[in-house]
Amino acid sequence: MNHLAHAIDEIGRTTMFFAALLKTMFRRPSRFGDVVDQTWNVTLQSLPTTAMAGFFVGAIMAVQFTMQMRDFGALGYLGGLATSGTLREVGPLLIAFMLSGKVGAYTSAELGTMRVTEQIDAVRCLGADPLQELIVPRFLGIVISSSLLLGAGLLMSVLGGMTLGHLFAHVSPEEYVRHIPTILTWPSILIGFAKCAVFAVVLATICTYRGYSATGGAKGVGRAVVTTAVSTMMCLVVMDWVTSYLAEAVMTLARGP
Amino acid sequence: MIEYRGLVKRFGDRTVLKGLNLRISEGEIVFVLGTSGTGKSVLLKNTVGLLRPDEGEIWIDGREVSRLSEEEYLGVRRICGMVFQHPALFDSLSVYENVAFGLRRHDRLPEELIRQKVAEALALVHLPGVEERRPAQLSYGMQKRVSLARTLALEPKILLFDEPTTALDPITTTAVNNLIQELSRRLRTTSIVVSHDMICALGIADRIVVLDQGNIVAQGTPREIRGSEVPLVQDFLAEVPA
Repeated sequence: MNHLAHAIDEIGRTTMFFAALLKTMFRRPSRFGDVVDQTWNVTLQSLPTTAMAGFFVGAIMAVQFTMQMRDFGALGYLGGLATSGTLREVGPLLIAFMLSGKVGAYTSAELGTMRVTEQIDAVRCLGADPLQELIVPRFLGIVISSSLLLGAGLLMSVLGGMTLGHLFAHVSPEEYVRHIPTILTWPSILIGFAKCAVFAVVLATICTYRGYSATGGAKGVGRAVVTTAVSTMMCLVVMDWVTSYLAEAVMTLARGP
Repeated sequence: MIEYRGLVKRFGDRTVLKGLNLRISEGEIVFVLGTSGTGKSVLLKNTVGLLRPDEGEIWIDGREVSRLSEEEYLGVRRICGMVFQHPALFDSLSVYENVAFGLRRHDRLPEELIRQKVAEALALVHLPGVEERRPAQLSYGMQKRVSLARTLALEPKILLFDEPTTALDPITTTAVNNLIQELSRRLRTTSIVVSHDMICALGIADRIVVLDQGNIVAQGTPREIRGSEVPLVQDFLAEVPA
């Protein structure tokens, strides 16, 4: 019962932090240069791993679909199916997991260290708002860069799928690409990016909140990083289900009865 | 200048400050001594609004400040500079940017004037020429002095020091203590120094306040404190060479 009460308490605190963050973002905008710096840092930090992971996800999807589609003689649709699956489901989730492992842990540790070494208190004493100065630029950096990384990851997944499709199923690159527009529709692209944005907001909120509210020296920073990793993974999986469900409902509504 | 009236601060079911009353005059150097966990740092954090009291009042310059909003508190922080236990320098910024941080946020001065004020503040702590270095390139003692320069650059009327000599070697400790005395006298600031160091307090303070369990158990001039018979004061005095 205590665990449940604690979990509800934490969800409430995180939500209040998110509300304060949004209020600060619109009432006292952060410096544009700080947001650009953070976006640049997050993107650069995660680009190589996201690109590599994207390549192999595309490759895995191509191999998996090949095994199923060969029996139906539908290998021509391999590129379209693999790319659509990556963009709608695997891509956003994978990138969010990547970012939570790298950027989420890093941001949480950085802010936690700033908290326990009194740097955040110093920011307040020197006439600045820590939310405006430290949190909002990091939050926006993670949200913007995740969209950029999704784009990069997707391109790499197409490349990975194309390479493996050629080597494993003997589907030529031209044929692989030709059916991508047939299956990959605009709604699928929008759903992919919307999912990515939702995951990025969840991740950015959790990691900045955990770091910002860290207490208790080095041990407290360690705890903040671990809880960031655990709660982010849990929330991402739940949000994946919620967004998939909502996307399906919207698509059904759009298609009509 | 600063007055605490019936100050109470609780953390959960633990009461750290239990109705503390204290009045500090302009230009005074007051050392607040006590064992760990007696509420010394909590007192300073309440003064600059990093924490808010659960009961009681804090008067600074004739104004009750404990109920001010975060935005209204900026004016109090402008005249009330705090030097933290850790150097609390921003790792990603150079020494120059660290010292200029408060000037940019509080006063929005032109760059030329900021440059001049940063140079003056660093000269006050005897650290000229380190502007372009990063905090990580400085020793811990130097970082503490840069942190002091960052606070001094705003020319506060009140200086609050939270254990300024913790984790420093004896030579740097003496240097920092001398600096506190020199600056307080030269800049005519009111200073509150939270410390464990009775030797330093006896040498520098105008008044020493001893806290125990969230209450003042003794206070007076260094001479009066030397004659105190309060057991905790006796324990502190036992460390002082005859």
